[in-house]
Amino acid sequence: MTTLRYLAASASIAVLAFATSGNVAADEFPTRPLTMVIGFAAGGSTDIQGRVLANVMEEYLGQPVNVVNQPGAGSAVAFTRLKNNTDGGHTFLFGGTTALTFTPIITEVEYEIDDFEYLAAVAVGQNAIVTAAGQPFQTFDDLITHGRENPMTYAQQTPLDQAIMESVAAQEGLDLAIVPTGGGGGMAPLVLAKEVDFAYSGGTHAQYTPTGEMVVLAFLSAERSPFYPEVPTIMELGYDYSIEDYRTIIVPAGTPEAAKARLIAAAEHASRSERFIEITEGNTFFPVVFIGQEEMEANVRRIRAATEAVMAGN
Amino acid sequence: MNLDVVFAAMGEALTLSSFIGIGGGVFLGYVIGVIPGLSRSVAIAIAIPLTFYMTPYIAISFLIGLSKGTAAGSAVSAILLNAPGEASSAATCLDGYPMAKAGRPKTALKIGLLASVIGDILATMILIFVAIPFARVALLFGPYEMAAILAFALVFIAGLSGGSLFKGLAAGGFGIFLGTIGLDPQTGLPRMTFGYTELMDGMPLIAVAIGTLALSEMFVQAERLRTERGNMSIKIENRPDDVLRWREFKITIPTIIRGTGVGTFVGALPGLGPSVGSFMSYGMAQRASKTPERFGKGAPEGIAASESADNAVIPAALIPLFGLGIPGNVSAALLIGAFAIHGITVGPLLLRDEPELLYSIFAGMIVASIVMLLIGWFGLMLFAQITRVPPPVVIPIVIFFCLSGMMLQGYGAFGLLILMAFALLGYLMKKYDYSFVTFLVAFIITPMLELNLRQSIILSRGDPMILLNRPIALFFIACTVLALVALAVRTLRHPKPLANAPEEA
Repeated sequence: MTTLRYLAASASIAVLAFATSGNVAADEFPTRPLTMVIGFAAGGSTDIQGRVLANVMEEYLGQPVNVVNQPGAGSAVAFTRLKNNTDGGHTFLFGGTTALTFTPIITEVEYEIDDFEYLAAVAVGQNAIVTAAGQPFQTFDDLITHGRENPMTYAQQTPLDQAIMESVAAQEGLDLAIVPTGGGGGMAPLVLAKEVDFAYSGGTHAQYTPTGEMVVLAFLSAERSPFYPEVPTIMELGYDYSIEDYRTIIVPAGTPEAAKARLIAAAEHASRSERFIEITEGNTFFPVVFIGQEEMEANVRRIRAATEAVMAGN
Repeated sequence: MNLDVVFAAMGEALTLSSFIGIGGGVFLGYVIGVIPGLSRSVAIAIAIPLTFYMTPYIAISFLIGLSKGTAAGSAVSAILLNAPGEASSAATCLDGYPMAKAGRPKTALKIGLLASVIGDILATMILIFVAIPFARVALLFGPYEMAAILAFALVFIAGLSGGSLFKGLAAGGFGIFLGTIGLDPQTGLPRMTFGYTELMDGMPLIAVAIGTLALSEMFVQAERLRTERGNMSIKIENRPDDVLRWREFKITIPTIIRGTGVGTFVGALPGLGPSVGSFMSYGMAQRASKTPERFGKGAPEGIAASESADNAVIPAALIPLFGLGIPGNVSAALLIGAFAIHGITVGPLLLRDEPELLYSIFAGMIVASIVMLLIGWFGLMLFAQITRVPPPVVIPIVIFFCLSGMMLQGYGAFGLLILMAFALLGYLMKKYDYSFVTFLVAFIITPMLELNLRQSIILSRGDPMILLNRPIALFFIACTVLALVALAVRTLRHPKPLANAPEEA
């Protein structure tokens, strides 16, 4: 019964059509331990969420879920490997979608969006513009006002956030110098020591806002964060850009329907699990959601098109 | 600091279950440290799921014990096999292996162990009593300072190399060249990756380190086996002179204290890492010595300098972690994940909100140091059995571990090919007396130097006068210039360098 209910929830006609004949097979998957690939090094927010997710999925699926870190090029290495995997859904990737919606635009990679299926998203990526407490500007509007009179510095992490900030700077007439940081770990000391005026954060700010050391000025995400309800998105502030990212369970295209259905069901189970919610929302400040396959397939393609438009503008 | 809290926490740290957890971590780390190819960061990543079922305090102490164990254990293979278990013990080979070959392997192992444990305990004390309130000092070291320190480290460590100046420049230059491979940190465009996704994050560090340090050494030894069969392995005999006497240990104490200082400084600055620490310490010990010509030929101070700094980096890397929430190196970054899985956010709030937990962890770290001494001391005889195994058996086993260590990195067959290429490179460098130390350090430092230099140039908007407001950066730039001048003068005066990499026997 539960299997049928989850299959329905996945809202995929193909899955439903398969359900009557494939029920037995669905109960059989997984027949052996599963592998969850994480395209980042251990210790980051994807890794933390992934390890807890694996733990919760393991309880639901009745087989161990082993976490394997395959870091490199913002998950591009992991996606390249995953593309050629043919073990019928026993190996899946958990992580953000920027390696599909952004990376292929600026660099040559050996995979494309259609090489994968996007089964379910369980958390929404948080992309923010942050500054240090004690800077003369503590809102995005103040930042712009301040920037019109003073030369400003900004710490980027990806060419995408740099492109957006260059457009904002051009629109507002800011004199902006942009430095690379090599990631959230490199961003934090630059912001805290006020070496830069403001910076991009892909989630690292969650560690510093509770102490009051860092302030979120605006979100680059499409929606406000429930954890910073008073902070606007830059879209609301009148700049037509956003960086959307969903932490998604991804398998190679052509994975058997029965396996996909079980993985989707396990993901939905995890999205309601207290343990997963506690760590993801409480420690990494990522809102937990459940977005099924049909919507995610559309999301990935929509974000890619929007990103291409932003990058073409530069 | 509330002493009651400290003592209550100490009490909790001394339960049987915590001893088992910490002891298990140290032992596991020690074994992983001994085995060339299996690296510290991989060990921690693999061990994190093991800690799911432990209490947060035991889990964190277990992982810190594991880090400490690898740093101490890696000296064993450096001394007995000339193949360091971790890149950070590469400097230990320089004197440890010659001393062992000269018939005093036990003495070398004991000096390495004592230096590790003392460096570890002193740095842990600094972490507990001095550093956390002063963690913000690390923020004084911005991009300008880091770029200057990295440039200094590059020149200073390059000065240790054997061979001619030009061979040193060639080795360092090649390291710098390979260090620039990968995605440009700002534009994200690939540089010299030739279409390989695997190279986008640069040449995998583990492949370069294991290949040039451990695997190439196995090739060298396998080749030597053909000519010196039966006459090359290190024997642990109960020779009367293979005993560490107080008189001999006493002279290494100033070196250990200096090494701890260097290791703590390097560890507290985010990014530098233990390899830079141990080589800096080795270089400073050599410069400070009245008899620098003994270095590279089995000087006890050489072992002590490298090992004390290597171990001091580990607790010191927790200074920015606990004080600011910024990880000091890769292993510390892994600990953030481990904390988070247990529902704890690392950073300055930990001291305010959960002081008991923090002090328990500190107490656990001291326990780990003591356990490390016991395991090292009594395990000495056990690990020494390695030397009874004939080289034709040891060499293939080490090669197997090197290859498996690479597979654990998740690079697949591509990683093995890169590993083999670097093993060949390391072999040729050893054969033709190019310094692989200079090569490796240049390779490790280059990406950090590039990032910090680019940040400095962009932030200063190209104006060098900003350095006048940056006295720390200016100081290290002056040191770099002095080191360059000293290097040039030395090359002109003594065609032979002071310290040779271990000579071919």
